Amino acid sequence: MLKGMVLAWVLVWAWALLQGIVFQLRAPEKAFASMVTWFAPIPVAYVVLHRLTPADLGILPERFVGGPTALSLLNGLALLILLFLTGVLFYYHADRSITVRLLIEMARAPQQRMSLAEMQAVCGVEVLMHDRLRTMAMNGFLEERDGVYHLAPKGRVGGLAGAIARRALAMKAL
Amino acid sequence: MKGLTLAALAFLLLAIGSALALRLYRGNKEFKVFLAAFAAAGLGYAVAFPVTPPDLGFLPAGWLEPATGVDFVNGLLVLALVFHGFWCFAYFACLSPSMGVMVELRARGHRGISVAEALAMQGREEPVNLIFQRRLPKLIAGGYISKEGGAYRLLPPGERVAALGAFLKRLINADTPLAGSRPC
Repeated sequence: MLKGMVLAWVLVWAWALLQGIVFQLRAPEKAFASMVTWFAPIPVAYVVLHRLTPADLGILPERFVGGPTALSLLNGLALLILLFLTGVLFYYHADRSITVRLLIEMARAPQQRMSLAEMQAVCGVEVLMHDRLRTMAMNGFLEERDGVYHLAPKGRVGGLAGAIARRALAMKAL
Repeated sequence: MKGLTLAALAFLLLAIGSALALRLYRGNKEFKVFLAAFAAAGLGYAVAFPVTPPDLGFLPAGWLEPATGVDFVNGLLVLALVFHGFWCFAYFACLSPSMGVMVELRARGHRGISVAEALAMQGREEPVNLIFQRRLPKLIAGGYISKEGGAYRLLPPGERVAALGAFLKRLINADTPLAGSRPC
């Protein structure tokens, strides 16, 4: 099982490095699509490497070698996908966090001070919602017709998931 | 496989437990509920692992991992990663303005939503937008910013978070030198 875990870790770091270079070269409009595209060959590479490399990868102690090969392969594959999704979530933590953005804006402000009006001007609801509506339309969750937004099929699934989660978890906006 | 099975069970209990706890919780620091649920699930997993048989009484012999330590760590790692995903999804589903729009549109049926209505949902007309009503008190209570007169000032802990955030944004090429040039 450890062989699959090691391969999954190595490959997810390789993807993270590659994705970092891609983002540096050109920040894509559709970040998630870019991440999926660049990650797509990684599971294939994982399966190939798992089949071609020795059970101990040339480095693992003997006591960690053995066990069912299929379990190691599937467990590593599941771990690889979980690590990828975690990487995607970290991207969104860094890119989309309103709190972090607000603190960065304050750090850049003269004397690191901002009034509420200044905060709302750079990071307020007007800026936020225009961007979010545009992004959701661009990513196929919403459709804009005559200045009014409607749910696209993908957005209906998202809305249903959100409604269920809100009912189940009962977290308040305030 | 024992580790994964126990991790799946622990996560199921974590999800149910946090959902129930959130119904009873009255504050606005939900992260504490999630972290407590994760700690309880992790502890339960760590206690259950050594006291249960390797096959848990039902796993086929061909699915057992011979290295117990690897099995334990693998299960714990998977539990942590799935919990992180669950935590992020919960916050996104319940608090994200984007999800708020989709849920609202679903409730409206065939009626769409205008930009003005979407802005009103986030309290544009109120003196303090909803996104600030939730965040500013937490940032003040956490010692990241302070309120002085009519303005807010960044404190050293907030400065450190801002520096880390700016570094991460540079890594993903989402940094912005000009305030407001890229939305939050």
